[in-house]
Amino acid sequence: MVAIGGKHQIINLETGQLDRSVFVDPDIYAEEQEKVFGRAWLMIGHDSLVAKPNDFFHTYMGEDPVILCRDGRGNLRAFLNMCRHRGNRIVRTDAGNTRNFACAYHGWTFSNQGELEYLPGEEEAYYGALDRDCLRLVEARLDTYAGIVFATWDKDAPSLDDYLGDARWLLDVSFNRLDNGTEALGPIKWLEPVNWKTAVDNCSDNYHVPTTHLSTIIVQGRHRGIPRLTHEQQFQSESKHLFVNGHSLTMRFLERADQARQTHGITADNREAFEAYYRQTLAEAERRLGSLRARRLQLGNHSLFPNGVLGLRLAHPRGPLQTEFWHFALLEKDMPEELKTALRRGSANYNGVNGIFEQDDMDNWRGVTNSALSPIGRKYTQDLSMGVGHDRRHPEYPGVVSERYTSESNQRLFYRRWEQFMNADSWDDIPLEPKAMRYEGTATLRG
Amino acid sequence: MEMQPATDSRLELWHELMQFYIREAWLLDERRFREWLDLFTDDVFYFMPRRLNIHRSEPERELSPVGDLAIFEDDKTYLTMRVERLETGMAWGEDPPSRTRHLVGNLVAEPQPGGEVKAKTAFILYRSHHETEENVFAGYRDDVLRPTAGEWKIARRTIVLDSNVILAKNLSVFF
Ligand code: FES
Ligand SMILES: [Fe+2]
Repeated sequence: MVAIGGKHQIINLETGQLDRSVFVDPDIYAEEQEKVFGRAWLMIGHDSLVAKPNDFFHTYMGEDPVILCRDGRGNLRAFLNMCRHRGNRIVRTDAGNTRNFACAYHGWTFSNQGELEYLPGEEEAYYGALDRDCLRLVEARLDTYAGIVFATWDKDAPSLDDYLGDARWLLDVSFNRLDNGTEALGPIKWLEPVNWKTAVDNCSDNYHVPTTHLSTIIVQGRHRGIPRLTHEQQFQSESKHLFVNGHSLTMRFLERADQARQTHGITADNREAFEAYYRQTLAEAERRLGSLRARRLQLGNHSLFPNGVLGLRLAHPRGPLQTEFWHFALLEKDMPEELKTALRRGSANYNGVNGIFEQDDMDNWRGVTNSALSPIGRKYTQDLSMGVGHDRRHPEYPGVVSERYTSESNQRLFYRRWEQFMNADSWDDIPLEPKAMRYEGTATLRG
Repeated sequence: MEMQPATDSRLELWHELMQFYIREAWLLDERRFREWLDLFTDDVFYFMPRRLNIHRSEPERELSPVGDLAIFEDDKTYLTMRVERLETGMAWGEDPPSRTRHLVGNLVAEPQPGGEVKAKTAFILYRSHHETEENVFAGYRDDVLRPTAGEWKIARRTIVLDSNVILAKNLSVFF
């Protein structure tokens, strides 16, 4: 049963007050590596990054270095990048193609199925006494959602399907729209001086956009013909926040089924071409997702608990005060080349390390993180009270749904989800919402 | 690239381009970004690939090719947006602004048939921001310079950083 109370009480859902110490406390940080990153299903990559047999891609699960590979039989696998001898890293590159991983320290060699295949002096130095079967690479559980690869260290974690729960109902409109799926390009990698949670909770923060990003909103209106986003529009908007199983989603309504999605890289000049593409692919999308999801809904900013941020973007914790951020572009494979190019450029130029949106976020998140280093500041709670009492279950949409598009409902619930992981002794103590939505159409978890 | 014998005309070109790059560095460090923008042709491609950490045996994989996800993939409009947003006074990532120092050297110039010149330079870009923050970016730039109405303009710039994971909160400065 779910424990009431527990050691970590950081968010008050009635008042929206958050204890700032969660951003900087080294003990809390160490504990969340075990209890959050050691348990959750984490996004680690995409099957297109390891398309061919024996391809590998080096990634992370929290602070743990991980080799994502496709073994010789075509199966995806995720191994801790740690030689079972003394612990050296057996992969030192970002990516490659190999049947086996040879450790550069003493030469122990592991197959890409994880077996310790060879070591110098097995008979002589070890007198044949080494049990190689006990010295396989440490392997994570792996599953995929529409080509996106997830892994968890916890053998008791629920299935990925249950972990995503009905968040997938909305995620599908971005990631699972077409039969041929998506491909991932990237990542761009950089080190942000922020606690990882500030980057994640920002994903449902529509409130900051008209202020933080005003300079770019102005110039993209001037040069790209994109209508100016204002607070007033967002306050009046029909759009919603949805919170399901720790996953923060924002949902926007399309005016027309072929309306160009609100995505960086779409401009007044190429809007027509995007709309033609959405028209051409509508029948397929409707077959896969049913009419409501194919014609009416678009996924806005979102995060997948704990550290998947806005599409395939990862916030890897690097100590309480640093986050290594990975930015991939995720593109529908069937999209015409010139539209892919527009989205690829838009993706990096708006949201990468140089992004004219994203570059203005960093000092805010750092300011929020570092406020907890202030001896006086940390006596005061962070205020997340916006819209308290104005979110509830909805008859048509999954999870807890905000009345308005500008709300801190998702932030409050994100920190509540964090408490649930941190106060749990095992997955038995972590609540999961049962799936309740009707999934019209043929799309499944696997694509 | 090969070092060519130093004829007078080659020396003259080298000297002229070095002055061009010194002027560019001062424009950037003095935050004269409009004038800096004028150094580029209207069809410029301003490109920074990702730099991968790969084995010595696979040099062809070290830089992400055009068409893959790049760090910068700007046309003149993107570059103009970057400059104009600074002028709004609300580009918070650069307001207050970075204090930068661009050191540019190691110039190698290779004239091309048709009048364009390939010019390669190495750079160190030091950036100080807010109270105590510091970044050092090192790398090289591969430019194509085009003579336009008696002036050199940059028609193509490829910037290669010597970093894999970029040890900075953002790249809100120009290279
Ligand atoms: S640490 Fe890998 S072989 Fe010794
Ligand atoms: Fe933002």
